[in-house]
Amino acid sequence: MLRILLVNDTDKPIGELREALSRAGYAVVAEVDGAAALLRAVEELSPDVVIIDTESPSRDTLEQLAVMGHAAPRPVVMFADRSEPQAIRDAVGAGVTAYVVDQVTADRLAPIIEVALVRFEEEARLRKRLADAEQRLADRKLIDRAKGILMDKRGLSETEAYETLRRQAMRQGERIAEVARQLIAMADLLG
Amino acid sequence: MFQLFPPHRVAGSNASGTTVLRLGYVPLTDCAPLIVAQRMGFDERHGITLELHRQPSWAAVRDKLLSGELDAAHALYGLVYGVQLGLGGPQADMAVLMTLNRNGQAITLSAPLATALASGRPLREVLAAAPRRPVLAHTFPTGTHAMWLYYWLAAQGIHPLDDVKSVVIPPPQMNDALAAGVLDGFCAGEPWNAIAEAEGVGRTVIASGEIWPDHPEKVLACRRDFVSARPHAARALTMTLLDACCWLDDPAHRAEAAGWLSCPNCIGRARALILPRLLGDSRLPGAPLRFFGDGEVNYPYLSDGLWFLSQYRRWGLLGDLPNLQAIATAINQTTLYREAAAALGINVPDSDHRTSVLIDGVAWDGRAPERYADGFAIRATEHA
Repeated sequence: MLRILLVNDTDKPIGELREALSRAGYAVVAEVDGAAALLRAVEELSPDVVIIDTESPSRDTLEQLAVMGHAAPRPVVMFADRSEPQAIRDAVGAGVTAYVVDQVTADRLAPIIEVALVRFEEEARLRKRLADAEQRLADRKLIDRAKGILMDKRGLSETEAYETLRRQAMRQGERIAEVARQLIAMADLLG
Repeated sequence: MFQLFPPHRVAGSNASGTTVLRLGYVPLTDCAPLIVAQRMGFDERHGITLELHRQPSWAAVRDKLLSGELDAAHALYGLVYGVQLGLGGPQADMAVLMTLNRNGQAITLSAPLATALASGRPLREVLAAAPRRPVLAHTFPTGTHAMWLYYWLAAQGIHPLDDVKSVVIPPPQMNDALAAGVLDGFCAGEPWNAIAEAEGVGRTVIASGEIWPDHPEKVLACRRDFVSARPHAARALTMTLLDACCWLDDPAHRAEAAGWLSCPNCIGRARALILPRLLGDSRLPGAPLRFFGDGEVNYPYLSDGLWFLSQYRRWGLLGDLPNLQAIATAINQTTLYREAAAALGINVPDSDHRTSVLIDGVAWDGRAPERYADGFAIRATEHA
């Protein structure tokens, strides 16, 4: 069984990988929160793989072990064998980097990375969904305010006000919320 | 909050049509030229807009340069050469546009070791008397601090790979590690040596400018294909940073820059901890931190790049590579630099090589780097 060390020293909840990795049958031997603890854990526990956030300040500590190392982790950064910029971008963007000891072959590494990536992609989707929901709510508020202005200034019904905004949006090739924002700004200007 | 993908970019331009360049930096005193370039609007002067992105590690700087998330960065000289050689990580063709500063780094030892050393005992004896094999930290395996530390130790008969244990600790964590006894000393950029003294956990025992007077330190680095694909942007960027380095030559300006560096979104430590060594602390012998000196600092001398290659050979990081000279010539963008300097009326040297004498009295002129490397009594016994 591969023995994994998690470095959890950024805002990103990389510690949550622990459960996913355990479910996938890996042994998470420790979780550390800084460079000194990381050095000690690598020495005392000799993990096969170290998984770390790309934004962790402790990454350089692992780089040194990799370059100097004998039984130390080697940064088989995920994109090591795929040099296309897009693959690198995806890997960096996904926010996980793995450092692996020599003996671990690429095919044994792949599932770990997969688990890590799936975990982080799920989370990213979740956050995106949340952001989308917030956006929709903000749009809704803008549109309601713009409808109110139209109803007030032009004596339109709510349905007519919405139709007016929708037609204007189609003419301008804009989102309705954007037209609403412009209308509110204009109304503020005109008082 | 993290992102699945880096924010997308519209062909490197902003709404007003100027070229936007994304620059990475690590929060250290010598990232000053980047901060200054933006604060003073030197970027606009050259038709570009700088976006500065603070980075938590040198590994992150490297990855983002390789992925294209950053166009260029404030980087350790040795990081660029390490990536070119693929030492311990991904390989890519890299470029050095200019040197951003000379000197300004230091070695700190724990208070007991510093006291023993100050009593006049040789370092070799002091370290041998320590209760364990001394643990000394630097900041990146192929980086400048590793090379200053190794050179300094070896110059005093201490083998940096055998007689001490060398580890990397992120500079902001150095002093806690020193206080906790995890470390016996470190070599790093400022303000971390100054902070060790202020916190009473260690003392500066030597400035890097005494190990190699006027050594090259940080460079303006990018991928080589950035230079070939966007030469105008690369030249404008070089001119922008030359303006910033020139501005920093005035002590009054450095005093102003210290305030910017101390901001929470940069180094986030008190201005009083940053300023003295930014000005060049007169209590420390050796060449002080320099950013410009009529452009003398900034020329990307091939001999500077070759020095790092020579030390990688010395410490067993590279085997017999075909042509070290060709590697340095490809990385250091001397032609582009000359164009940028000429456009600003800044002097450039006649030669791509300069001569220095390091702390052990050995001269380095950029010639025969293999012979230079193999001439040191203390070196790695086998090549990697």
